[in-house]
Amino acid sequence: MTKLEAKNIVKHFSHESHKLTALDGINLKVEAGDFVCLVGPSGCGKSTFLRIIAGLEKPDEGQIMFDGHPVTETSPERIMVFQEGALFPWLKVQDNVEFGLKMAGIPKEERAKISNRYLDMMQLTKFANSYTYQLSTGMKQRVAIARALVMDPDVLLMDEPFASLDAQTRDLLLVEMQLIWEKTKKTILFVTHNVAEAAVLGTKIAVFSNRPSIIKKEFENNFPRPRVTEDESLLKLQQDILAELRPEVKKSRE
Amino acid sequence: MGKNFTPHRIAFYVGIIVIWQIISMVGVWPDNIFPSPYEVAEDLAYSAADGSLFYGIATSMWRLSIGLAIAISGGVVLGIFMARVEVINQTVGSLVLGLQSIPSIAWVPLAILWFGLTDGGIIFVTAIGAIFAVTINTYTGVKNIDPHYIEAARNMGAKGSQLITAVLIPAAFPYMISGFKQGWAFAWRGVIGAEILFSFLGLGFLLNAGRSLNDVSQVISIMIVIMVIGLVIDTVVFKKLENKVMSRWGLQ
Repeated sequence: MTKLEAKNIVKHFSHESHKLTALDGINLKVEAGDFVCLVGPSGCGKSTFLRIIAGLEKPDEGQIMFDGHPVTETSPERIMVFQEGALFPWLKVQDNVEFGLKMAGIPKEERAKISNRYLDMMQLTKFANSYTYQLSTGMKQRVAIARALVMDPDVLLMDEPFASLDAQTRDLLLVEMQLIWEKTKKTILFVTHNVAEAAVLGTKIAVFSNRPSIIKKEFENNFPRPRVTEDESLLKLQQDILAELRPEVKKSRE
Repeated sequence: MGKNFTPHRIAFYVGIIVIWQIISMVGVWPDNIFPSPYEVAEDLAYSAADGSLFYGIATSMWRLSIGLAIAISGGVVLGIFMARVEVINQTVGSLVLGLQSIPSIAWVPLAILWFGLTDGGIIFVTAIGAIFAVTINTYTGVKNIDPHYIEAARNMGAKGSQLITAVLIPAAFPYMISGFKQGWAFAWRGVIGAEILFSFLGLGFLLNAGRSLNDVSQVISIMIVIMVIGLVIDTVVFKKLENKVMSRWGLQ
């Protein structure tokens, strides 16, 4: 079943009085339960694409279809996990995780029941009463993921969530992310500039071209899980992705 | 923080009092112009004993609290609207900047005409002296909110007034605290100034009463009280609050 479909998404930006085309007709079909990784040179507009799907920005042309209906505004059905987490420093971890539930008017006891489940899943129970400044970057991302999952979204939109993590923490979270995906059966769109990360996580990998961007190529990825970054079976796929990506990265630097 | 300067500080103040005492003993100026520290302390003890000092403090603080409460609630609302609605910023915002440059004392004649010699007039001067500092700091705070906070909140379903109470106010709170602190300082100056000119109870009135009785000791003793109260609220109340907020928000 098609969960999400991008139809010819175009987005311009004005930059110092000249118009810049970031997205030049993005077409993408995402089936329910897909784990789609979006890779591309930096500045190609893949994050903008994610924001458009989230309803945080409007495309200049084209439409996002979600369950067959056009996306017009932001909604908890499509939850974004930001690169820096965007956690609220004035709230404790547990209150951060419960934020969306509170906005929805869910009573306190029920909120606690739901949030405890996800705190447990993300191994955050010990930190429930901490403030975010007391957490490491990796812990913050766990909180951000828990905060998103609590909303029980249809689609999880992750914008380079592991970009600022050290290698060990990232490897750990790559494993956990696969488990979460298998457990929750969420549809996930995951932006990354890291090809190994994409090969480990994705059921599908979409390569963006340099600006003005289109989706240059899509790869299917059906290797058995759990996968890890050192898997040799993934090397060939990584090379194929890199072969598509390299000329685009080169162009982006010219 | 390094070295503890408390002993230096104590020595400094003891030094000032000793020099003061010596100057008054040398007798350069007559007693009624330049009283000794002892006479000032004596005056303070008298006014404490007959209760007039505490009544004065209570009156001033009561007016200040109401004025500041009005300034804070009004300033926060105004600041948020200025930050979120550009047309309000361009219109009301420009007026706020202009009004802020008026010293609170300059509102006194208008306050007297509008309110008469009443508490209401003094509270008006206090509030109007403080409100714009709160407004401008709240505005700056809301403008400086990480846009991801607002996007994340909207994405999770926060709307309208929820967005204001659950995100905008707490996210801007570190700036707002600075606004409250500034507002308090303006309010304190405003209330004392207004009381001198209204000459209607409070510490400012006691100052003015000292002046009309040619009682320099009383004037100086009340000035010391005003300074100490100002210092205590600044360092104890606001410094502590500010530190707490800064560390909680991860800004320190």
